[in-house]
Amino acid sequence: MKRFLLTIWKTIRSDTPAFAGFCAVAVLIAVALGAPIIATHDPNEMNYRAEGSALWIDDPEAVELEESIVPETLRSVAWDGSRYVAVGESGTILGRSETDWERIDLAIDETLRGVSLSAQAGLAVGDGGRVLLFDGEAWIAEQLDESITLLAAASEDGGMLAVGERGSMYAGGTLLDAVERLDPAALGASFETETGGRWRQVNSGVTGDLHGATLSDGLGFIVGERGTLLRWENGRVESIDSPIFRDLNSVSLYDRDNGLAVGDRGTVLRWNGTEWREMQGPISRNIRSVTMTAPDRAVAVGTHGDIMILEGDVWTRVRSGYDRHFRGSAGSDTGFVVVGTDPYINALSPPGGEHLFGTTHNGRDIFSQVVYGSRTALIVGFIAALMVTVIGANVGLISGYFKGRTDSVLMRIVDIMYAIPLEPFAMVLVLLGRPGIGIIILAVGLLTWRTTARLIRSQVLSLAGRPFVKAARVAGSGHLRVLYVHIAPNVLPLVFLQLAVAMAFAITAEATLSFLGLGPPRLYSWGTILHQARLSGAWRIAWWWVIPPGVLIMITVVSVFFISRALEVIANPRLSRS
Amino acid sequence: MHHVVLKRLGQAIFTMWIILTVLFFLFRLGLPDPTVALVSEGLSPEDRARIAARFGLDRGIFTQYFIYLRNVLSGELGRSFHYNAPVAGIVGDRFLNTMALMLPAILISYLVGPLLGVLLAWKRGSRLEVGGISGALILRSAPMFWTGMLAVMVFGIWFGWFPTSGMRTFPYEAAHFFDKIFTLDFLHHLILPATVIGLYYLGLPMLIMRNTMLEVLGENFIEFCQARGMSPARIMYAHAARNALLPVITQLAITIGLAVGGQVVVEVVFSWPGLGLEMFNAVRTSDYPLAQASFMLMAAIVLMLNLVVDLIYSWLDPRVTYTAAR
Repeated sequence: MKRFLLTIWKTIRSDTPAFAGFCAVAVLIAVALGAPIIATHDPNEMNYRAEGSALWIDDPEAVELEESIVPETLRSVAWDGSRYVAVGESGTILGRSETDWERIDLAIDETLRGVSLSAQAGLAVGDGGRVLLFDGEAWIAEQLDESITLLAAASEDGGMLAVGERGSMYAGGTLLDAVERLDPAALGASFETETGGRWRQVNSGVTGDLHGATLSDGLGFIVGERGTLLRWENGRVESIDSPIFRDLNSVSLYDRDNGLAVGDRGTVLRWNGTEWREMQGPISRNIRSVTMTAPDRAVAVGTHGDIMILEGDVWTRVRSGYDRHFRGSAGSDTGFVVVGTDPYINALSPPGGEHLFGTTHNGRDIFSQVVYGSRTALIVGFIAALMVTVIGANVGLISGYFKGRTDSVLMRIVDIMYAIPLEPFAMVLVLLGRPGIGIIILAVGLLTWRTTARLIRSQVLSLAGRPFVKAARVAGSGHLRVLYVHIAPNVLPLVFLQLAVAMAFAITAEATLSFLGLGPPRLYSWGTILHQARLSGAWRIAWWWVIPPGVLIMITVVSVFFISRALEVIANPRLSRS
Repeated sequence: MHHVVLKRLGQAIFTMWIILTVLFFLFRLGLPDPTVALVSEGLSPEDRARIAARFGLDRGIFTQYFIYLRNVLSGELGRSFHYNAPVAGIVGDRFLNTMALMLPAILISYLVGPLLGVLLAWKRGSRLEVGGISGALILRSAPMFWTGMLAVMVFGIWFGWFPTSGMRTFPYEAAHFFDKIFTLDFLHHLILPATVIGLYYLGLPMLIMRNTMLEVLGENFIEFCQARGMSPARIMYAHAARNALLPVITQLAITIGLAVGGQVVVEVVFSWPGLGLEMFNAVRTSDYPLAQASFMLMAAIVLMLNLVVDLIYSWLDPRVTYTAAR
């Protein structure tokens, strides 16, 4: 046995393609065994990415994405007539007056959730009671109650309003005078900040989170959880009846007679100067932000790239083609800008960076799928090949040894097997059962032993007439003993060779059948990966999804071909090249 | 000779009968109640029984089996659930489409392949031979559905040179099959899938040709040709190749047979309305009669072509006899 293995090794070593094939198979087996270590991601996991992007919208037909401005998610954006300011996670604050965003470094790291600009003042609010004030030249960091997360801000003519969790509400700047004059009872803690800013807490009368605020011509609205709608006027806060009970996320007033509020499940409310009325929009998911730039013009944004524009009384959906989650919106006279984006599915990302082979349309990591696919290929290939070889070798042995009627019958069966095409046979099996790994092994195993059987039979035919077989019979050995003890070892090299060839065939067959969708749906194989690429329709452009599995199938199969070509000489001496 | 023909024909018919029988019992045992696939769930037991009776399902299984054999023999293959039309017509039409794709592809690879094979044998031991063999093996190991996907991606989408699906641009009018395929539009649709199939099949005749050529080149008459001062090209292509063609022809017939049913994947990738795609769709929509008939046709054609191979073989090479073999 040791000598036999040594001969095999020498043969492979002396044949360059065979040696290359041997190395490739060795690497493949290592990859299959170490799949959990080598795979960089869970192949079933959808991968997300977050970043700060902006989308510029001139009209519903013309959108332009400005991708990855900063690595942090942007939460809100505002326009003051001459420049944009966007805020986001980790204290990110960006200003843009001409064509480029510039980061304003304030050395803070709280997430900023809302920003508002007006002619005299600017205001950004965020986690930990963080407030940023703009005095026309620079931003100044201040802090209110540390335990409160501020969610939204509004400002007008030097007056400022900040709202947040659990009904918290703060007034600052010129608003303060009105508040303190009118209703001292409604006032809470007073904050004197280091830089001389003054804020007072205002009793909002509600306990739910407040998500949005707006001010215009002395009138203000604040919206929040479960349809909360607060009206602010002359320092007085009053709750008004809400036509809905879904969460409201954002509110925007153009003037005293025109306003919009948006919320969960596509909720849109319109203010006509006397009351809020629900209106129909084309979006059914959450809407997170709304900005009104004229009595008949507004933009609203939400998750999964949902954007809609109001013109007159009609909302039009913007087909941005991007699946990003947007959070903030702003508008000038010429167009709108929306910013985001929360973690969104990193779909069809080309190779590179975090994903070695890119991602699928579901944001799944293709490299990891391919790595796990090698397991399926090798396991299914091996089991099917084993089944093929065991059946084929036995049929060949029996047929070649007993000859006569037995041989006739068995060879007829082989003929029948040759008349059955593999893929349609597997499809019939799936039609009667259900797709799965068992069906594939069964189809390959039941059908393709035909070649092995013929090859082994022809070798056994020539062996059966040899003197040692007769000698064994004369010495009293039974048929089975002669067959399996005396003849079988002589065909063993050929059997092993056929095992290798059958394995290459079985791997291709598994890939082919899985590609047709006859494979197990939740187990990755190279064929399943290509099947999913085809189903998604993305295979026509996503080359990174198509190429890796196919290359691996090709390398595996060609390696086995090269190895078996080299070994043919040992297995079947008659084939030795003169 | 007549004896051989009759015997092989008898064996083929016997094999077909076995396949038909297995198919019948496979479907009847796999699907104890075919009415489930046919009618809606909320049917009362009486109605269900009436429908079962209409389809003959109330009779004994062997009676059903004989009715099935009789129907198959008379070409009565049932009605497709999906098309609500006789299966035989659909299957016949799709079979022609498949052949319109497979035959040109395979014939070209069996024209080019042997020529390359002769070259490999002639240049034995050179880098050309090593490269040629490796190339043939690599072409054979790339799964056809994958090369097809690559071809669509590169030549269909990126370069936009060829249409990526179907066999004609819609809408089109064709009075009959030949009207449909003898057009430039069809040729334009044919090139991509036919090249993919052709490249895959190129390797086998090439390698077979090379191996037989090596055997033939060792024979006396080659030496005799050389002694007569013939050019190597003439010896190779005019004399040696002719004697080495037999195994290639055999393989050609076998390949055509398998191609009828074996290339479902190419038809799926290129949406080629052939037998394979039809069967694939039939399986997805649980159209049992259509799937069954497609399978029968595929098996019958493989059998027929295997029979043709045997007969050609015994006709071309009188040393092959069927009486001595067993």
